Amino acid sequence: MKIQNIRNFSIVAHIDHGKSTLADRMLELTGTITERQAKDQILDSMDIERERGITIKASAVTMEYEHDGEHYMLNLIDTPGHVDFGYEVSRALAACEGALLVVDATQGIQAQTLANAYLATEAGAEILGVINKVDLPAAQPDLVAEEIEHVLGIRRNECFHISAKSGLGVKDLLDAVCMLLPPPADRSDEPARALIFDSQYDDYRGVICYVRVFSGTLKTRQRIRLMGTGYTYQVTELGKFRPDMRPVDELGCGEVGYVIANIRDLANVRIGDTITDDVHPAPDALKGYKPPMQMVFSDFYPGNNTEYPRLRAAFDKLSLNDASFTFVPQNSQALGFGFRCGFLGLLHMEIIQERLERENDIDVVQTAPTVSYEILLRDGTVKRIDAPSELPDRTMVAEIREPFVKLEIITANDTIGGIMKLAEARRCKLLKTDYLSPTRVMMVYKAPLAEIVYDFYDLIKGISHGYATMDYEFTGFEAEDLVKIDILVNGTPVEALSLIVHRSNAEPRGRKLITKLRKSIPRHQFEIPLQVAIGGKIIARETIKAYRKDVTAKLYGGDVTRKMKLLKKQKEGKKRMKNIGAVEIPQEAFMSVLDTSE
Amino acid sequence: MAELATGPTKSGRRASCVKREADSRSASWRALARGQASDERQGTRDDSLSFGLYVHVPVCRSKCRYCGFYSLPADRVDAPRLVDGLLLELDRCERTGFCTAYIGGGSPSSLPVNDLLRLVQQVRRRCLPAAEFTVECNPGQVDAGFLEGLRTAGVNRLSFGAQSFLARELELLGRGHSVEQIGAAVTAARRAGFENVGLDLIFAIPGSSPADWQASLDAAVALNIEHVSAYSLSFEPGTVFEAWRRAGRLAAVDEELDRAMYEWTIDRLERAGLRQYEISNFARPGFECRHNLGYWANRPYVGIGPAAASCLTLDIREGGRRITNDADIERYLAAVESGRPAPAQTQVVSPDDAVCETAVLNLRRRGGIDLAEFRRRTGLDPMRIFADPIERYRAMGLMEVTDRAVRLAGRALPVADTILCDFSALD
Repeated sequence: MKIQNIRNFSIVAHIDHGKSTLADRMLELTGTITERQAKDQILDSMDIERERGITIKASAVTMEYEHDGEHYMLNLIDTPGHVDFGYEVSRALAACEGALLVVDATQGIQAQTLANAYLATEAGAEILGVINKVDLPAAQPDLVAEEIEHVLGIRRNECFHISAKSGLGVKDLLDAVCMLLPPPADRSDEPARALIFDSQYDDYRGVICYVRVFSGTLKTRQRIRLMGTGYTYQVTELGKFRPDMRPVDELGCGEVGYVIANIRDLANVRIGDTITDDVHPAPDALKGYKPPMQMVFSDFYPGNNTEYPRLRAAFDKLSLNDASFTFVPQNSQALGFGFRCGFLGLLHMEIIQERLERENDIDVVQTAPTVSYEILLRDGTVKRIDAPSELPDRTMVAEIREPFVKLEIITANDTIGGIMKLAEARRCKLLKTDYLSPTRVMMVYKAPLAEIVYDFYDLIKGISHGYATMDYEFTGFEAEDLVKIDILVNGTPVEALSLIVHRSNAEPRGRKLITKLRKSIPRHQFEIPLQVAIGGKIIARETIKAYRKDVTAKLYGGDVTRKMKLLKKQKEGKKRMKNIGAVEIPQEAFMSVLDTSE
Repeated sequence: MAELATGPTKSGRRASCVKREADSRSASWRALARGQASDERQGTRDDSLSFGLYVHVPVCRSKCRYCGFYSLPADRVDAPRLVDGLLLELDRCERTGFCTAYIGGGSPSSLPVNDLLRLVQQVRRRCLPAAEFTVECNPGQVDAGFLEGLRTAGVNRLSFGAQSFLARELELLGRGHSVEQIGAAVTAARRAGFENVGLDLIFAIPGSSPADWQASLDAAVALNIEHVSAYSLSFEPGTVFEAWRRAGRLAAVDEELDRAMYEWTIDRLERAGLRQYEISNFARPGFECRHNLGYWANRPYVGIGPAAASCLTLDIREGGRRITNDADIERYLAAVESGRPAPAQTQVVSPDDAVCETAVLNLRRRGGIDLAEFRRRTGLDPMRIFADPIERYRAMGLMEVTDRAVRLAGRALPVADTILCDFSALD
C-alpha cells in the first residue's frame, strides 16, 4: 500500500450525535462487514457501551476503499464521546491525521462538540465538519452550519450533510476522507516507531497492543523494545482489525493494527509508549501522552473481605484496558482492606463499578466520590489528599485548597435563569456568556470541582428539560474556607462518610446528610444514633428507631420453600452492606454523602 | 406421589433392613426411605425416625377475608368426589407407619360428616398406634355427634380456628362463627373425650386495641385448652384484606402495637401454664403439637391434596426434594382419577440448603438448635458452620448459647427474621 493512499482518522461527536452509526455505515459501504453481520454499532464492543449508547474506549478498524480508480486503506479510530473521556479522545487523535466532527442537525453544537473540536485542533488533526440526521423532520442543517462557522470557524458551505442512519451522503464523505484528509508522513526509511494508543488483555494471548506505526516497519518475529519501560519481546503476531483480528506479516509506516508479543505482565505495557526495534532502536520515543489527571476519588471495598485478592486481580485487568483509572491499596478501620480509586469523572467511576460487577462478579461497597485537595501545612509543605479522612489534624493545617475548573454550559436562552441560580448556589462564578445563535447561549464559569462533580450535570439537564450540555477543564487549586464534617454512626466516626465542605454550607450539609442517612440505613434490632461533628463538636443528631417487628408468624411444611427464598434474599441484601460497629450500612448510604438534593 | 409408591415390600428385604438398623444409622434412614418403620418404635412417641402425613382439604363454607390458603366454597365442590380423590392419592402412597397425621385446610369440618369420616378412617389405618392425629375444625361447624364420630375414628387432637373472642372482630375477619360457639365447641370436644384441644388466635387485627387482644387472650385461657397458636395478622396477596388495605379501607396495626401484643401473648399464656415452644405456638408441657414439631425438626412428611407439600429429605447430608402439589382442584381430581400422580412442582434441595433449612426451622423452636441432634442429622457442627452469626448475635444479646443448644434470646423473637436470614445460606 502506497503511503499516500493511507488515511488515519477519528470521528468525534457529542454523545448520541450518531458517531457509532456513521462508523457502521462506513464499514458496510466499504464492504468491511456485510449488512447481515452488522450488529448494531459494532465498534462498541462492551455490553455497557451498547446499553448506554456511548463509547467508552477507543477501538480501531481498517477499511479498504476505491476512490477515483485508486485503492485506499482507511483506518478509523473510534473515540469516546462523554465529558469524562477527553483524555481518551486525545489519545486516539494522536494516532490520526484527520477527524470528522459530527454534529446532530436537530441539536446543534453541544458542549462536547466544542471540547472535541479543541482536542482535535490541539492534536493537529485536519477537521471535516459533518452535519448528521439531516433527514429528520426537526433537522435544521443550515442553522447548524451557521453555528459551526460562528463557533468553530469551519465554513458553512464546507460541511457535509449526511444521514448516517439511511446512508445518505456517507459515500461522498468517504470520498472526502480520501481527497481532503492528509496521508501520514512518509518515514518508512527511519527506525521503527509505533505508538501504543490502546491495549486489551486476552486470557490466552496476553496483552494485545493497539498501535499506529509512525516510522519504519514492524514485522512478525521481530525483537521489539518498549521504549518507556525498557522491556523487550518477540512479536508473535501482527494484524489488523477488519473488524475481527486478521494476522498480517508486517505493519508498514502509517498503518494501524495490533501487536501480540506474549506479554503476560499487565504492568509492562503503558498506553502512550513507543515500540521500536530492539536491535536498531530509534533514538527518541514518540511524543507520548500526558498522564491523565484523576479528579474524582472513591474507595472500593469487597463486600466480603475474602474477596480482596479477586478485587485486586480485577482492578489489574481493568487498568490495562483503561489507562486513566488508578488504584492504590487502602485500609480503613471501618471498612477493612480495599482500594482508593481515581477516575476522570463520575461517569467513568460508574462504568468501572459496573464492569467490576459484571465482568468479575464481585460485590463491592463503594464510598462517596470526593475530589482531590491540596493542603498547605503550617511548616510550609504542600500535600495532596484525595479523601477527607486524610486531612491532617486541624492544628497543622494552614490552608485547604480545592480544585477549580473552567465550566462551559450550552443551553437554550429561556433556561439561563434556572441554571444561573443553581450555579450560584454551588459557588460558581460566571466569567462570560456568549450567544451562539439568537436562542442558544454558552455560559462560561469558574467552578469548584467538588460542587459540580456529583449531580450538577443531572440537575442542569433537569432544569433545561434535557437541553443543556456541559464540559469542564481543570484550571488549578485555590484556597477556600473549607472544613471537615465527621459523621458518627452508633458513636463510631465513619471515615468513609466524612466530607470537606465550604464553611458557609457546613451545618446545613451536615444536617441534610444525617437526614438522608436516617432514611438509607435500615432499622436494626437496636436504636442507632447518627451525629454530625465539625471540628470535634457535635452539631446535630438523628436517631434510627429500632426494628419493632420482623418475624414470620406461620411457618409450616408448605411454607418452607418460599420462606427460605425470602430469607436468602434478606441475607443477600445485607451482603451489599458494610458492618461498622454492629450497624449494617448499605451502599446508598455511602453515596448519599454528596447528594445535596432536597 | 409416585416416588413414594415404589418401595419394595418383599418381606425378606425388610427383615434384613431391620437387622442392619441396629448398627447403622443410615441404614435405618434407608429403611425409612422405603416406608418401613422399625417394629420396636411402633408403640412409642419417638417421632424422630418416622414420616408425618398432612392432608389438605381445600374447601370452606365461606372464605375468610384474611386467608391466603388455597380453598374453594364448599357448595361448589363435590365433596364425595374430592374425598375419593384424596383417598386415591393416598392409595398411591404405599408408606404406612406415620407418626403424626394432620387434616387441615381450608376447613375439613365443612365436609359432610360421612365423607370426612371416610378420610379419617383411611388416614388412621396408615398411622402408628401412638400417632398424634389432628383435625382442624371451625367452631361453628361442629356438634356432639360430629366430634364423637371423629374421636371414635381415632382422631385424638382438635385444633379450633377461634381467631378472636370479639364478635366485631369475628365479623370483620369473615369467620362465620360466633364467640359463644367457640366455648360450646370446646365443651363438646371434652364431652366427646378429646384431651388435647388447641385454639388458633389472631392478633393485630385492624382496629384492635390492647384491651381487645387482652380480652381474647383471657377468654382463651379461661377455656383451659392444651394448646394455643397465636399469629400476627399478615396481609396475604390475593385476599380481601390486602385489597382493602391497598384501597385504604383497612390499616395495619402499627408495628409498635403489634410487637406489644406479641409480648403480652407470651407473658399471658406462659402465666397460664401454656409454655411457648415455637415463635407462634404455646402448649401445656407434653401437649406440643408433634406434627408441627416435625416441620421444625426438618423431618420428612407426605402431603396429600391440592396445594399440599411433601418433604422427601430423608438424610440431610444427601439433600432431597420438596414436592408441592398444584393448587387447582379440577386438574388434581382429573389426574388422580385417571391413575396419574397429582400435578406438582418438584424442588431439589441441595445438601447445603437442607442443612440451612434445618437450622432456620430449628431456631423457630424455643429450644433452638439442639447441638447433638443437629450434628447427628447433618454431620456438621452448627457452632462451626454458623460461627459468624452465632458469635455476632450472642455478643448483641440476641442469641443464647449453652453446651447443648443455640437459641434465640427472648428479646430476639419479635425480630427473628432479621437474624434467621443469616442462617439461610452457607457462606
